[in-house]
Amino acid sequence: MNSGVGFWTGVVAFASLAVSHAAVPQAAPTTDFNRDIRPLFAKHCTACHGGVKAAGKISFVYRDMALAAGKSGQRAIVPGQPDDSELLRRVVSADPNERMPQPDHGPALNESEIETLRRWIREGAPWKEHWSFVPPQNPAEPTLKDASWAAVPIDRFILARLETEHLKPSPEATAAEWLRRVTLDLTGLPPAPRDYEAFLEDRRDDPRRAKERVVDRLLSSPRYGERWAAMWLDLARYSDTYGFEKDPHRDIWPWRDWVIRAFNADLPFDEFTIRQLAGDLLENPSADDLLATAFHRNTQNNTEGGTDDEEYRTVAVHDRVNTTWTAWQATTFGCAQCHAHPYDPIPHRDYYRFSAFFNNTEDCDQNDDFPRFLIPRDLDQRDEVARTQRETQALRKAINDEALQVATSVSDWTPLVPAAVKSSGGTLTVTEEGRLRSSGTIPVKAVYTLTAPALRGLTALRLDLLPESQDPKAAPERGQAFSKIALALAVPGASNQPVVLRELIADYLAGPHDPARVIDSGGGFGSYPVMNAPRRAFVVLAQPLDAPADAKLEITLEHGIAANSGVQGCVLRNFTLATSTNATLTTLVNTPERKARWDALQALKDKIKDVPGTRVPILVERDAPALRESRVFVRGNRLTRDELVDPGVPELLAPPKTDHRLTRLDMARWLVGETHPLTARVIANRLWAEMFGHGLVETLEDFGTTGARPTHPELLDHLALRLRGEWKWSIKRFLREIALSATYAQSARVTPILAEVDPANRLYARGPRARLTAEMVRDQALALSGTLSTKAFGPPVYPPQPDGVWSTVYSGDRWNTSQDADRFRRAVYTYQKRTSGYPVFLTFDAPTRDACTARRLPSNTPLQALTVLNDPAFLEMAQSFANRMEVVGDTPASQIAYACRLLTLEPAPRSMVDTLLKLYRGALDDFRTDPAAADKLAPTPERAALVLVANTLLNLDVALTR
Amino acid sequence: MNTLDSLRRHELLLARTRRHFLRDCASGLGALWFASTAGRAWGAPGIAAKDPTRPLHPVAPQFAARAKRVIYLHMAGSPSQLELFDYKPELARMDGKECPSSLLAGKQFAFIQGVPKMLGPQFPFQQHGQSGQWVSDRLPLFASVVDEVCFIKSMYTDQFNHGPAQLLMHTGTQNPGAASAGAWATYGLGSENQNLPGFIVLTSGGKNPDAGKSIWGSGFLPSVFQGVQCRSQGDPVLFLSNPAGITRGLRRRTLDALAEINEKTARDVGDPETLTRIAQYELAFRMQVDASDAFDITREPAGIHKLYGTEPGKESFANNCLLARRLAERGVRYIQLFDWGWDSHGAGETEALHHGFKTKCQSVDRPLMALLTDLKQRGLLDDTLVVWGGEFGRTAMRENRSGMEMELVGRDHNPAAFTLWMAGGGVKRGHTHGETDDFGYQSVIDRVSVHDFHATLLALLGFDHLRLTYPVSGVNMRLSNVTKPGSQIVKGILA
Repeated sequence: MNSGVGFWTGVVAFASLAVSHAAVPQAAPTTDFNRDIRPLFAKHCTACHGGVKAAGKISFVYRDMALAAGKSGQRAIVPGQPDDSELLRRVVSADPNERMPQPDHGPALNESEIETLRRWIREGAPWKEHWSFVPPQNPAEPTLKDASWAAVPIDRFILARLETEHLKPSPEATAAEWLRRVTLDLTGLPPAPRDYEAFLEDRRDDPRRAKERVVDRLLSSPRYGERWAAMWLDLARYSDTYGFEKDPHRDIWPWRDWVIRAFNADLPFDEFTIRQLAGDLLENPSADDLLATAFHRNTQNNTEGGTDDEEYRTVAVHDRVNTTWTAWQATTFGCAQCHAHPYDPIPHRDYYRFSAFFNNTEDCDQNDDFPRFLIPRDLDQRDEVARTQRETQALRKAINDEALQVATSVSDWTPLVPAAVKSSGGTLTVTEEGRLRSSGTIPVKAVYTLTAPALRGLTALRLDLLPESQDPKAAPERGQAFSKIALALAVPGASNQPVVLRELIADYLAGPHDPARVIDSGGGFGSYPVMNAPRRAFVVLAQPLDAPADAKLEITLEHGIAANSGVQGCVLRNFTLATSTNATLTTLVNTPERKARWDALQALKDKIKDVPGTRVPILVERDAPALRESRVFVRGNRLTRDELVDPGVPELLAPPKTDHRLTRLDMARWLVGETHPLTARVIANRLWAEMFGHGLVETLEDFGTTGARPTHPELLDHLALRLRGEWKWSIKRFLREIALSATYAQSARVTPILAEVDPANRLYARGPRARLTAEMVRDQALALSGTLSTKAFGPPVYPPQPDGVWSTVYSGDRWNTSQDADRFRRAVYTYQKRTSGYPVFLTFDAPTRDACTARRLPSNTPLQALTVLNDPAFLEMAQSFANRMEVVGDTPASQIAYACRLLTLEPAPRSMVDTLLKLYRGALDDFRTDPAAADKLAPTPERAALVLVANTLLNLDVALTR
Repeated sequence: MNTLDSLRRHELLLARTRRHFLRDCASGLGALWFASTAGRAWGAPGIAAKDPTRPLHPVAPQFAARAKRVIYLHMAGSPSQLELFDYKPELARMDGKECPSSLLAGKQFAFIQGVPKMLGPQFPFQQHGQSGQWVSDRLPLFASVVDEVCFIKSMYTDQFNHGPAQLLMHTGTQNPGAASAGAWATYGLGSENQNLPGFIVLTSGGKNPDAGKSIWGSGFLPSVFQGVQCRSQGDPVLFLSNPAGITRGLRRRTLDALAEINEKTARDVGDPETLTRIAQYELAFRMQVDASDAFDITREPAGIHKLYGTEPGKESFANNCLLARRLAERGVRYIQLFDWGWDSHGAGETEALHHGFKTKCQSVDRPLMALLTDLKQRGLLDDTLVVWGGEFGRTAMRENRSGMEMELVGRDHNPAAFTLWMAGGGVKRGHTHGETDDFGYQSVIDRVSVHDFHATLLALLGFDHLRLTYPVSGVNMRLSNVTKPGSQIVKGILA
């Protein structure tokens, strides 16, 4: 804690008095490692003796390193022997050269801290894993003095804590307060007065059942998914654009719709997890399974000219790792990217073992967002079209594999060393070993011409593309790919005769270029955008070559493939050629069966060619032969690569039980497995925070050593276990329990005692009160104004936004304000541009979606005031709201009372109506004397005055909070 | 820090603050702000007496500051140091020759392929002023005030693409998500004028900079510290003016009604956030006047318009320079200008050294001279730090996009050397720091990294860059980038 300066000092003195009744474990008979010792290490020691630095070979993050002898030969901790423990000697030492922490690193430990350490060592220095890495245990039923208040088990845990703090729960909220709270929390929209009337009516008979009916109605509303998707979209860093410089449009909204549908259908969270992280690896994945994987295609894509595709592919892989760990594990795993985690026991190597799960997908920062998958607009067509696309891929692979098998069985390959070589730019030479090497400035579209004696009976050419470096750690290096190959016979005295080629057979199929067409119209074969390992291709002639004795064979290789957004030419730089006269290949490629397979492939492609839909970027795993190897990056630098690693989960946690190389699917299943300590707690805490304004663990993003500790650890475990067990990962059942709890039903009123003892409501002795989220600010105003469109799904929309907000470099994208219903759609459908977010949302603390955001920090600023007061979009809503008032009421007073009821449900307090009526009358006087001003707002001065009233209502504190 | 015990202590501390606030609310409403997450946000070491309830309230830095505010002129796209300030006769002699392989080994370029040709300086250079500093003939008016200027010719970065390099230059890291220098400055110092945003961003050149709004974002700092982009068309601050038909008098009535009802809510519910909200609405009301006034350059006399070459109502670098002075006068802490269009590759006319680049030079020459002259004549230059620069430098070689000779002349991106200059606020006058090699291609003497620059910038504002930190997931983040240890203050430029 900061200390010592004016403002703080008095407070600390005051505070230390006031907390004397709090649970301070001084008198406890034993120490608890997680409660007492780990925080001491984190505060005083681990900066130097931790995961990053282990000065003197001592680390207080790993037990074995803490108990072993250090560099000096002394043991820092000798269990049971405080006096023999170097740690204790050093922290009490008066010699500034000896004392720990070193005086320039931090203050000495205080008496009680030293005593705690001494006691812990004397008790045998028992070590415990950090609480969140230990699987949750079913907690004992809390014992209560008076359990009558509790409606659901949650309440018993809350009440137990309140009893120990000598606090009582607050009275129950009014029907209106509870209904507004639960409706906004579950659907993101305010309740209508008729919902309130119905609830009042219903609860006369059975209040409990009435509440249940409200909650069930809200959970089954289509609006529910739209509200809860917003939470997930922050974690997923969902955006309708790529990010970075040009920040171009990305068609990924079908995934956003999938999320909304998944919430509405209450897809269990384990399924929700598996499909998003590895839906593509499920057996016979459905269109939705594939679409779900777009979760991890929400990474940014850098299309700026000259940006290194491999660099940004790596950035995306790391972003996937960090996002997975933040969203599902609330662990700052990203710390281990450059070095071992400084506080939590996660070695550097574990980061790269986990990265390996994500290091083998096809996407590689291409400007077209390759690979993308056609998602038909018509939901009923989706699975069939998905099946067709999968069949297309499978057949293409089968066609290649059939020929590859034959090609690899051919054994008469003879090296071909061209007699002459020529390049249209730069220099191409033949080395002594017969390799072709290029150097100098080779233009992107360079053409190589190689000449050799024509070989009679030639059936196939083999090309081997080779890395330039021999060092395995040097890969990947610049890509090498050609776009076209042609053969011709040069006979003296005659013009060249083309040699007909039939097929190119690849060692494997990967990357955005299909090699099939390099023999005629142009395609691409090679390693692109970077070269990880050698590549091999077989070019098969239509028939064995028939050439006169003096003929020469001319091989033309054309280029034109450039990486790094089209500027880094991927010409061949190191390759060899070989020839075969074995006729099995020419025979194979000419069989009618093979031709039929090619035709079938075309038919499959044609079948979905004209299906209307959207091509969405998804995860596609590269085939085994195309596997990218994964290495540890020294200090996180992708250019200094170290040891090879296989995919794996951190050693700290129990691994999945399999005997094969772990896949992304294994990892996804492991995350939601029965033994995993974190996932259920993390999601339970997040859902709790959405309902109560803050989590049981305040740091939603960090359950590690440096994160906050749970205020109610037993409750968190209870919720996590029920979510995974009894509720089978059903989020709706989880939320239902919270919504029906007595804790949630309390009045939010802050009594002076509660303001004193629990200002932030961590003990839940009152109901939650939070500012509306950015989305709710817009959606509520739409609802109150009566303009809200409930149209769901589809491409993002463009509600009014001031001119000039969008002005991105090199981008022709325009904000064409939506007309009709699209103008009034819910916030979740608003176009989300990374480099230029919708201003209202940013002002109300929505993130830019550059990266995974686990928690929005609500602010309260003058710019928010200006926005809701003056933004033309909000004025438009105030105008519609005024219309609504005028239609319903005959007198200004009744019109205003009606509007207040729309907002607060209950009959408006007299004072509120009076204040607004005073405003109305003053405004009306003004508008009557200045009709031109009124004209700008409404057709009549009366309506204009109502617009001002509506504008005021939308800005009230009670409107902006829930 | 995160034991329940300290959590409780922090909350009690807040409770006391809130009680204090409630007691004084009649008089002290104006500048108050409540972060309900204050417990997390304000435990940062190194800031003396930072009051969590007043994030933008001016506070003293850690030690005596040489600069109270910053005007940062970023030339987005990165102007060529070799055509403006870094005079290299040796490069002229190499003009048209093939680039020696020693300059290419291990290098990666955005566009250059293979072995490019060297490109000599394209414009004549001359020494100027008492200090005899080199400036090319592209900036004749700026050259007349060069005795105020301190050049760093040995800057280098590790990013060679615009977006990441701009992020690095302004946030200390190349990926989006970190806090910008302006956010750090307002976090550390607050602002001297509560009726204007403390960190204001002005853009010219027709486009936002490449990395978009992330380069003036608050990143992991509370959002209240993010730069507010002010516009030259329409409202200078979004939604500043009342809608047509709502006069200031009517707006006052609205606020009175809001306050009346909200005060009742505050009494009924007891949530301090409600009182904060009342205060924020009053602040917004004052901002409507003060910001409109600050942004109204028509109030300047003709002589000043002549000096800057300003035309009210236009989007221009000149107008932004004049606005920067007006905002500096009003106590805005960090004024960030971005001027887009300096990416002189030679791939098209607007970005060729003999076309677009010349026009860009003309458009900034007078305003740069005017800004330094005007700040000086008002006595503001002493405690205002002016910074000028791009996000990297340009190559000593001529660009050969796609491996071909291009029709127009330009240079590719070069992270290894660029020139940045500063003036005022505690830096030496008429001074040059650092040198590049004979070709202006690599910084070689007294090299200055972006992180060194950030450490120096904070030092001038009165902060130890190692101690102006903010805890994020267990790491005390800082502008000079916690993962890049060893940053040094550039002592050689301090006056």
